[in-house]
Amino acid sequence: MTISLSKIINDWIPDNSKVIDFGCGDGSLLKEFIDTKKIQGYGIEIDHKKIQECIEKGVPVIQQDIDKGIKEFESSNFDISIMASSIQCLKNPHVALRRMLKLSNKCVVTLPNLGYWRCRVDLVLGKMPVTPNLPSSWYETENLHLCTINDFEKLCSSEGFVINKKIFLSPDRAQGFLASYFPNLFATEGVYLIGRE
Amino acid sequence: MKINKELIHFNEGLDLESGSRLDSFDLMIESYGQLNEDKSNAVLICHAFSGDHHAAGLDPESGGIGWWDNIIGPDKAIDTNKYFVVCSNNLGGCSGSTGPTSINQSTGKVYGKDFPIVSVVDWVNSQKLLTDFLGITKWHFVAGGSLGGMQALQWSISFPDSLSKAGIFAAAAKSSTQNIAMNEVSRESIRKDANFFDGNYIEKNTKPRNGLKAARMLGHITYLSERHMNLKFGRKFQKADSKLSGEIDYEVENYLQYKGEKFSDSFDANSYILMTKAMDNYDASASESLEDAMSKILCRLLIIGFESDWLYPPERGKEIQLAGMKTNVNCTYVSLPGEQGHDSFLFASEKYDEIIKSFIESR
Repeated sequence: MTISLSKIINDWIPDNSKVIDFGCGDGSLLKEFIDTKKIQGYGIEIDHKKIQECIEKGVPVIQQDIDKGIKEFESSNFDISIMASSIQCLKNPHVALRRMLKLSNKCVVTLPNLGYWRCRVDLVLGKMPVTPNLPSSWYETENLHLCTINDFEKLCSSEGFVINKKIFLSPDRAQGFLASYFPNLFATEGVYLIGRE
Repeated sequence: MKINKELIHFNEGLDLESGSRLDSFDLMIESYGQLNEDKSNAVLICHAFSGDHHAAGLDPESGGIGWWDNIIGPDKAIDTNKYFVVCSNNLGGCSGSTGPTSINQSTGKVYGKDFPIVSVVDWVNSQKLLTDFLGITKWHFVAGGSLGGMQALQWSISFPDSLSKAGIFAAAAKSSTQNIAMNEVSRESIRKDANFFDGNYIEKNTKPRNGLKAARMLGHITYLSERHMNLKFGRKFQKADSKLSGEIDYEVENYLQYKGEKFSDSFDANSYILMTKAMDNYDASASESLEDAMSKILCRLLIIGFESDWLYPPERGKEIQLAGMKTNVNCTYVSLPGEQGHDSFLFASEKYDEIIKSFIESR
């Protein structure tokens, strides 16, 4: 069974905290934390259908293209910002991360790992990787800036972001031995809690 | 759909924001649908500046369709099969509620230009008295567009416990400089009409029709988008047999002439001045900051802007959203394409309907 992201990052979200979720989708992650942790949550989403689903759940949502503005939420004093499986779709991921760490002390980032062995096999065979985590073909994907676990951690260190916590996931979103010890080769996904130095 | 129309008299009077007082007043209201047993399905609709209590359905007397009939009715976005929907004519209006055309009880004469300045806050206060009169403790939803959206916002600030959800559409927390400027041009055209007589035209048995007409024509330009005007009229010439006057060349001219003429038949000039002043003077932040004012809000807000609206563009709605977010208000902001400029809030569209429905029904 696939473990939900809310279970994985559950311990990272303090009760009653103020949380902003960039690319919140249908709002189910926020909804769960609103119910279980009494957070003040806001979602940012661009897709109309997903916005409507957030509204149905009573999750406050703001229609916004993340590429066009993260800055304007700076004055709202968020405790945590979340960017789940979206960072690689942005025009300037490093700028987005900087801005998220300006509007909140901590930031949860999840990203697919292009270093995962099946991706490498696909490339060796001369084709763009298509895996359960990267299901779209090259011409349909929204991903602009795919990276490996090592690439992301290198960016964090060069930008001065501190990695407070990290969890590496296997294909079934479990936390397997191989993914934990050799993440760049065996993790399909990295889940990070980052902060400022 | 059955329309219940009622004139309600309030003996207790109302202290106005300006310091004046109305010793008693009437509110003309319409309602649709049935109030349920625990009175939890009540919806209050606030009208825009030239609107009135006739929000939905076909009025058998006038033959007129309600101004928000696209949105309110059986199985519509605001479903009268499920909700008890109330709309009242604002104080200072000219459609039945106490206003400049009413008789001032203390003088026995028509108020005319002496009708006291009214404000968005005064309207909300008068609607609160209506709420008590109807025996409703909490509106499920209070909504409106434009000046009606300002009232919905003010409701959430003035009476946080008395509503669960507010819909603020094509509105702003305060009018912009440009809004005030446009309104002043329309007021000036009324004031400079030879038949205005400094606001005492009723005594003279006349009406500043030309001024009102020009004011409305300007208004209509601001309510539409450039693109929509292009699509609707383009540079098409008006057919000779349907020209309202010999001076007309283009369809758009005929349209504005027609709308202006119709409006000047039905609307009162002093009301026009009062309503536009109320719009200009409104500032949700009052003497504090918008964040401070909004920190009182307990209900959920749905803020909708329309991309083609240049009178109250979506960014103005976003300002409300951002201020609410700072003070932890549960506020949602959506920007919709809306072809018809500022008027977009009046028209149904699949997305607009879905958003409103989801919000009203949300847990």
